[in-house]
Amino acid sequence: MIWCVRLEDVGRRYRVGGPWVLRGVDLDVRAGTLLRVEGGNGTGKSTLLRLLAGIDAPSAGRVRGRPRTRGYVPERFPAALPLPALGYLTHLGRVRGLGRRAAAREGAAWLERLGAGQYAATRMRELSKGSAQKVAVAQALVGGPELLLLDEAWTGLDQDARTVLDGVVRERVAAGGAVVFVDHDPARLAGAPHVIVRVAAGGRVAAEVPAGARRPAMTRIEALGAPGAGVPEGLPTGARPRLTPYGELSLTLPAPASDAALRVLLAARPGWHVRSVRPLGEWETDEGNDEGSAG
Amino acid sequence: MRATLALIRYQLALLVRSQRWLAPLLLYAGLLAVGVRAGQPLLDSLGLAAAALLPSAAWLVRGCVTAEPPAARHCAAAAAGAWRVHLAGVAAGGVAALLFGCAGVGLVAATSAPRSTDGSVAVPLLPAVGAGLCGMLACVLTGAAVGALGNRPLVRSRGYAVAATLLGSVAALALGASPANAAVTGLVRGSAQGAVQVPWVPSLCAVALAGLAAAAACAVATRRE
Repeated sequence: MIWCVRLEDVGRRYRVGGPWVLRGVDLDVRAGTLLRVEGGNGTGKSTLLRLLAGIDAPSAGRVRGRPRTRGYVPERFPAALPLPALGYLTHLGRVRGLGRRAAAREGAAWLERLGAGQYAATRMRELSKGSAQKVAVAQALVGGPELLLLDEAWTGLDQDARTVLDGVVRERVAAGGAVVFVDHDPARLAGAPHVIVRVAAGGRVAAEVPAGARRPAMTRIEALGAPGAGVPEGLPTGARPRLTPYGELSLTLPAPASDAALRVLLAARPGWHVRSVRPLGEWETDEGNDEGSAG
Repeated sequence: MRATLALIRYQLALLVRSQRWLAPLLLYAGLLAVGVRAGQPLLDSLGLAAAALLPSAAWLVRGCVTAEPPAARHCAAAAAGAWRVHLAGVAAGGVAALLFGCAGVGLVAATSAPRSTDGSVAVPLLPAVGAGLCGMLACVLTGAAVGALGNRPLVRSRGYAVAATLLGSVAALALGASPANAAVTGLVRGSAQGAVQVPWVPSLCAVALAGLAAAAACAVATRRE
């Protein structure tokens, strides 16, 4: 499902007349994107994450379009809860709409994957700091929320669990979820974020697309030709065709070249029947036809 | 709705395992032990049992809405929305108080004499128990309203919250305008007259009061933290 959380001129301060922690923030978080939030201590990174999660409400402006399911990992999780780890995860899974068994199964699977399977029956207040952090990560993942907010979630995890969490983040983004994270390690998920959000003193926020993630607007043309037809001659350079033996052609090309490509398709003999022309989403993949040339 | 029920289950699990139910139960049991004697008039004792539950209900709601450390509360709020987490806390406290109340009404019904206050008129047992349950409900809901209004997120400092819960409970029992006061008065008056009066109106007022109090607290819960 395509969704987009939109912050419109959002401000947040913790008391009337107090300093603005965030101010005039306009930001979009789209499905299928990874965002890194950067900024010095006390600049409002955590506040931004809490606003996105719906834990906190803005003092000014509005937040729209949050997906129904969201997961949040706080920077410190003092697990002073009187429940066993798996019991807690089961409750959270049920809150996200899973049945009791499915929630317990999923909770156990996440604990296992993060390397805390042996603590499933341990009461949370008896867990070590690192194990408690694994439970904190697992609770955000049970039920597969569409939007994931990680506030220094890696801190306190052992190396294996950090690697697992890196992998989970990439999986969630590839599956069409969105992940917004804060981490003090500048190398965390290096090269992967689609957007870097910088929070400056005074609560101003600037979003930029890192050079590696930028690419021109693309268009996808789908057409049907005679079975066995070859790729038509004279397509614009930069067009990436994909053809099935049944004559189904899928053409991905930079948006400005789409008119030329359509002219070629319509003029060709035997002709092509154009089924659809649509702009490709900013982060939509080329369905494996990419060959590393999208950058 | 499903998420709210799951959250109420979660809050009840926290309440049970944290033993935060124990002190309110001891308070209720203590008040019953002081005020109710075997063989006393039934409706009088039911009125007292209902009144004794109000502070416990407020205390249970306080226990539930403060059960989670902020970080855990944030995690639940991300999963279901902050207002729903708070609503579930208030509801879980109310449910626990209702369980206490049903046990209390059962105990009183089993040990009291089904007679009017002066002993001259017999009081029918089942209608009297029905009136007692209705009065108990009014007191639980009024107590839950006190607990919702007197604690976080509306009253955030612990000292003020405890004071607000305590004074609010006393006020809710003493002030004539309170549904709990009306329900208890109705039961006691019925005992004096030897006629069962089911306190419908106070109970409905208490439903409205608890609904408004919970709505106010939940609305603020989405605005703060």
